[in-house]
Amino acid sequence: MERRDFLKVTVLTGATAALGGCEKPVQTLVRFLPEQDLVPGVAEWKPSLCTLCPAGCGLIVRIMPGDAEVLRNGKPGVVQMNLAKKLEGNPAHPINRGKLCARGQAGLQLTYHPDRIRNPLRRSGPRGAGAFEAVTWDEAMNQVVAKLHELQSQNQADGLRFLSGRLRGQRGGLVRTFLRAFGAPPALTFDPLDEPVLRRANALSFGVAKLPSFDLAYARYVISFGADFLGTWNSPVAQAIGYGEMRQGQAGTRGNLVQVEQRMSYTGANADEWIASRPGTEGAFALSLAHVILRDKLRPLSDSDATRLIPGWPSGLLDYAPTTVANLIGVPASRIERVARELASHPPAVVIIGGAPLAHSNGLFNAVAANALNSLLGSVGGRGGIYFSPQLPVGEVTDASENVVSGAQLPAELSAAKLLMLCGANPVFAAPPGWNISQALDKIPFIVSFASFVDETTSLADLILPDHSPLESWLDDIPESGSPTAIVTVAPPVVTPLHDTRAMPDVLLAIAHQVGGTVAKVLPAENFEQMLQSAIAPLQKISPDSALDPDKFWAKVQQQGGWWADGVKARPSAPTREKPLLNSTSPKFEGDAGKFAFFFQPYISQSFLDGALAHLPWMQELPDVLSTAMWGTWVEMNPKAAAALNIEQGDLVEVRSQEGNLRAPVLISPGIAPDLIAMPLGQGHKSLGRYARDRGANPMSLVAPIQVDEVGSLAWAATRVAVSKVGKAQLAMFSGGLFERPSELEQR
Amino acid sequence: MAHRWGMAVDLDRCTGCEACVIACRAENNIPTVGEQQARMGRALHWIRVERYYEGEFPDVKVKFQPVFCQQCDNAPCEPVCPTYASYHNAEGLNAQVYNRCIGTRYCANACPYTVRFFNFFNPVWDRPFHLQLNPDVSVRQVGVMEKCTFCVQRIKAAEIHAHEEKRELKDEVLQPACVQTCAPKALVFGDLNDPESEVSRLQRSRRGSKLLAELGTKPKVTYLQRDQWNEKDA
Repeated sequence: MERRDFLKVTVLTGATAALGGCEKPVQTLVRFLPEQDLVPGVAEWKPSLCTLCPAGCGLIVRIMPGDAEVLRNGKPGVVQMNLAKKLEGNPAHPINRGKLCARGQAGLQLTYHPDRIRNPLRRSGPRGAGAFEAVTWDEAMNQVVAKLHELQSQNQADGLRFLSGRLRGQRGGLVRTFLRAFGAPPALTFDPLDEPVLRRANALSFGVAKLPSFDLAYARYVISFGADFLGTWNSPVAQAIGYGEMRQGQAGTRGNLVQVEQRMSYTGANADEWIASRPGTEGAFALSLAHVILRDKLRPLSDSDATRLIPGWPSGLLDYAPTTVANLIGVPASRIERVARELASHPPAVVIIGGAPLAHSNGLFNAVAANALNSLLGSVGGRGGIYFSPQLPVGEVTDASENVVSGAQLPAELSAAKLLMLCGANPVFAAPPGWNISQALDKIPFIVSFASFVDETTSLADLILPDHSPLESWLDDIPESGSPTAIVTVAPPVVTPLHDTRAMPDVLLAIAHQVGGTVAKVLPAENFEQMLQSAIAPLQKISPDSALDPDKFWAKVQQQGGWWADGVKARPSAPTREKPLLNSTSPKFEGDAGKFAFFFQPYISQSFLDGALAHLPWMQELPDVLSTAMWGTWVEMNPKAAAALNIEQGDLVEVRSQEGNLRAPVLISPGIAPDLIAMPLGQGHKSLGRYARDRGANPMSLVAPIQVDEVGSLAWAATRVAVSKVGKAQLAMFSGGLFERPSELEQR
Repeated sequence: MAHRWGMAVDLDRCTGCEACVIACRAENNIPTVGEQQARMGRALHWIRVERYYEGEFPDVKVKFQPVFCQQCDNAPCEPVCPTYASYHNAEGLNAQVYNRCIGTRYCANACPYTVRFFNFFNPVWDRPFHLQLNPDVSVRQVGVMEKCTFCVQRIKAAEIHAHEEKRELKDEVLQPACVQTCAPKALVFGDLNDPESEVSRLQRSRRGSKLLAELGTKPKVTYLQRDQWNEKDA
């Protein structure tokens, strides 16, 4: 404070005191420290990468020093360290351009979660009982290496299996190199959010086995078949940015969004027109639109790989005339005709398909039909259309399409394992009961997990080697979609590890070195940072920084959170010339329609995705935007269907399929077809810490193990269920009923 | 010239994603209360996304609307406070002084937007969640009302930095947490005293209106209504 300000303050206070008795008291409260002399906390911002979903958004992390209670060498103490305070989108990152979704914002809680595994653990009771004891890193590493040596000496190196979620960037390359050198089969990937059907369809239609990107900002007409592209599907932040621009980004024009689905998704709630169609008929719908466009010659005739796949295309898709398929689709012929005309007369128009339409036995047909419609509309590769993001082949990166074991092969693969390494996959929770994952895991002699939390699958592990949290790790990613720019995201750790954990890639490298032989030879890098640096180094040649000192280039990459360049062309995969059988327009369902009256649609939760984020209290207390429910699961039902069964809001219902049954509160919702039951995924954990455990029900426990034809992935929307009322239930809701305004009275 | 901070909410851009809700929680040290308290209506959300269903299946329409403190010029919460805990600051913000608040909750009764929240208990962060707390924002204790501040800690920090560097504060460098994270750019923050600012421009939009304008509270937040798709438009 300056002397003058001090005097001012003194004078004012003095005056107040003097006037006190006789005049009206001065009501201005005096601040003793002038505002401009306050010193705000000093924060540093460091780039990082969001790892919560496959989109791969860039982060900047607010870092401030603080005191943390930690255990070091078994002794408690207080250490001053950098702490992460807030996550924001990295403004320079081409995918999310400074923006972030709710889940990304909550990613901060992963690092400071009280239920994180703090040190290596060894199973100390029967498998699955959840009893673990602490061991040192040396003991744990020695045990893994001994087990690996044992496999080698017994000539059973092919008994090693690595099961993971989608491994990003160089992590995937490291695991692949390790397994190949050890003599084990490639890693198994289990990722319920993945869209293998769409990749396969895009390989067939466009010769690119990748998820698509969309230039929504310039689209004037968007028709989306089931894709929750604003909420959870593909690259939601990039798509939401494009959506905002489509609505109000250009003066005088505003894009139209039509959503076709059976249960109003969060994206459907934003649509200008919402069309309820029959489940699994999205392909027929797309071809019916194409029929009208072809018949009335609304667009020039298109002949491409995409249209050649469709039987009957050259003759104008006569089987798909609106009057013929209206009943099948459940949409009046006149409405199909109108949408087709609007679609054709508002270029650029784009078709999006994702989610439930691809999770039927005929999912591939639906996807290929939507691709053909895009091709007819001329929206492949153009402004306002669909395109494929360039992915630079950096280091030993695995292609996303390469090794996904998405289908029922998983249990068979697991039962061949002698030693399983587990990293970021939780199939015990997220796979259908018919796959018998627990039984398959039970037979594996030794399971090592790299998890940070004891989830359902890790609770079966014999040894846990806890990974750092993402903010404590070296991260890299080559995003598959979301931007026309070629991107390699690279981020150094932003905070010091809080607990006695080690980064999975570093542990795997250390294991490789200790195993010795070929494995040590092919992985000479001392640590993961070195691997990353040498993988990134070749990019310098094609960047404007080619004259820079290599170390300076590496520093620059770290500083901006990665490397990106415009004008890099997408590399098409080898064109696929196979002709899959694509004549099934109506999907198969498990369960007799007489006994199981409803279709069942589990959907990816806006808060928890497939359930991997259910342990974050911020996400648990976030009101679901359509229902305002918190801290629970619910069963969505149409008001008329509920009334017919004498079910009302507040009731507890039992949902049964041939696979199992569950109980949950009912939510009467106007946005769902009368013959459909929907449930959000994510709750119903038996493990995963104090906030997730024993809360709600897991809809996967009802899902039948039906496969998507020609792809083999899980058709998770192909189960039928029955519903009955069993009692009363309570569900925490932020607002009152669905039609009222939240008021204090109703909240009580 | 003094600043007059305001917001615009473009409902045609808003998707209802609730990124703002978590961003606000992270920035402002808002505790979670757990399932039981949440069921009793005691969850604290300085910003919420309201949604309204219209129509019956299959012709259903949904509208989203983010609602937070409207920072009224004529704020009903201020005159009712016996301790001057809720007061009007020099920049027109409805500020809340936590250590004056004695928890009468008159302000919550008076607020027509139900955006004020009461701490029924002392907040709890299971350790080590407390390491994430933002040191720029005080943690509120039991018996205290709280609400959206337009991230006043960010405003003050920006003003102090501008003062240090002897330059004028421009609103484009300053964003509350909700605005910063909003992907479709539905939330826009800025200085209403600057006629050239984006927020001033949006406040003049033909689509603009105030929440419950008829009450005469003079909110500093403008809502831009959802546009219609017009077939001939494009």
